[in-house]
Amino acid sequence: MGVRLYKEPGLENPIMIASWPGIGNIGLIAVDTLKNMLEAEELGEIEPWDFFYPKKVLIRNGELKDLEFPSSKFYFKRTGEKDMLFFIGEEQPADGGRAYAEGKKAYQMANLVLDVAQKFGCQRVYTSGAAVAPIHHTARPKVWAVPNAKGLLSEVKTYENTILMSEIEGRGGQGNITGLNGLLLGVARKRGIDAICVMGEIPVYLQGFPIPYPRASKSVLEVLTAALGVEIDIDRLAGFIEQSDSQVEQLYEKFPPEIKEQLDKLKSVSYAQPTEPAPITEEDKKRILEDIDKFFKKGPKED
Amino acid sequence: MQEMQSFKIYGKSELQDSSLIVGWKEDVANLGAMVVDYLNKKLGTEEFGEIEPVNFFPLGGVAVENNVAQFPESKFYSSPEKNLVIFKSNVPRVEWHKFLNSILDVAEHYCHVKEIYAIGGMVSLSAHTAPREIMPVTNLPAMEKTLDQYDLAGGMEYETPPGQRPTLSSFLLWVARNRGIPAASLWVPVPFYLLATEDAAACKKVVDFFDTKLNLGIDLRDLDEAVTRQNEKLSQIRFSFPEVDSYIRNLESNVALTQEDSEKLAKEIEEYLRRID
Repeated sequence: MGVRLYKEPGLENPIMIASWPGIGNIGLIAVDTLKNMLEAEELGEIEPWDFFYPKKVLIRNGELKDLEFPSSKFYFKRTGEKDMLFFIGEEQPADGGRAYAEGKKAYQMANLVLDVAQKFGCQRVYTSGAAVAPIHHTARPKVWAVPNAKGLLSEVKTYENTILMSEIEGRGGQGNITGLNGLLLGVARKRGIDAICVMGEIPVYLQGFPIPYPRASKSVLEVLTAALGVEIDIDRLAGFIEQSDSQVEQLYEKFPPEIKEQLDKLKSVSYAQPTEPAPITEEDKKRILEDIDKFFKKGPKED
Repeated sequence: MQEMQSFKIYGKSELQDSSLIVGWKEDVANLGAMVVDYLNKKLGTEEFGEIEPVNFFPLGGVAVENNVAQFPESKFYSSPEKNLVIFKSNVPRVEWHKFLNSILDVAEHYCHVKEIYAIGGMVSLSAHTAPREIMPVTNLPAMEKTLDQYDLAGGMEYETPPGQRPTLSSFLLWVARNRGIPAASLWVPVPFYLLATEDAAACKKVVDFFDTKLNLGIDLRDLDEAVTRQNEKLSQIRFSFPEVDSYIRNLESNVALTQEDSEKLAKEIEEYLRRID
């Protein structure tokens, strides 16, 4: 069980950006887009066979030609100032059919990723995922940011369109980040590496559908590029977002009218603590959120 | 910290250049388990080791099947006279690579195997009256050369379709290839309406191959009788239920059934066979 590096470039103060699939593939789309737009080069991979069941077999003329596993790859980009290391996992290590990695395998993978980060001198790691929130799909998704050290809070507060757990009503700054996008933060903390997870919001009623949600990836990308000081043409996601919006609209149209009526109220509701007068009363807001929560039997959560 | 080995061996093995046959309990139409159970019984093999379940199966309780509590089993049997090793196991739920390497550790270091065969049933849309055939997939040219001498259906072309995963036997072949051990999976198409019961004809086809290839000298008359009985039962149901006969006639004429008709045929046959058994 190990890492295979194809090259060993010298990197200047690199920052690592890592992501695995999750709800709406929000983090994965964001990180993959950034990696592609910056034309990052392939650096290496985590050997997959101890983490994953194969995903594809190729048999030709009765001979087993190839067995393909989900990839877990590293990439790098020299920028002249803060260089970048990317890690993109095609799957979270499977463990008894669970969607999100946990336990020994997840811990091993998180450590391997951070071994590479430290080998190249990384002192900062970003991970990215989804935040399931009572928002409407026409709203601009916010980004929930969770750092792994108190000292990072002041920096995170400067990020645009971003909120902390303490700014979400009823949470008292508490929460949970499922899977490797979260675990990496903890393992980094254990090693004394600063890390921040940025999670794009996805409407609560879309969390169960296996569809990408690039609208939230865009919000994540805006935060990441600003934090990293890089410029990319985020509008290149526009086509993908348009396609996804139309898919979501089609889905939304299929909801029963009474549900749609409730969900439409989300357009005028903010679950975050009010900073300015809301268009509806606090009592109305509470009732709407409770109704929706009851309908989906789930509260806000993150991955 | 050194990891403990995952298997237990009860005795000393004297095998050299042996052959290993692997059968999975969760195989299509139970073919793998049926073949290795038959071989174990006919050859009087002895259990000599096992892979401990703790690292590979969730042990939060037991599953109950047909009113009986089950427990995962991964056992090795041997027949020193026939220079044969048999491995029968449930399909592990986690740590597949480690599990397959444990099989190969026992195979290589305790039994000195020269070749491995994994049995696999596959769903066929053909009628039961079509002859069964073995479609091999090999992992090294040496195995391909070995199997060329036998009358097997060659040239399988396959790529895992989206949304599906490869079989554990394919994973086994890949791990064996990385260790330089020639291996083959032997795929036998089983008519879809016999999946819920068992297909004696498919079992006979595989046992027959092993009997010839490994020179086992098994008296196969009981299997011949089982195939005859199965065919008689299927003839009876065709005679008693014209609708079933018509479905099977379509399959015999290479006319595909609708999903609904296929499900109906499978249900009728399963219920009938269970009723008269």
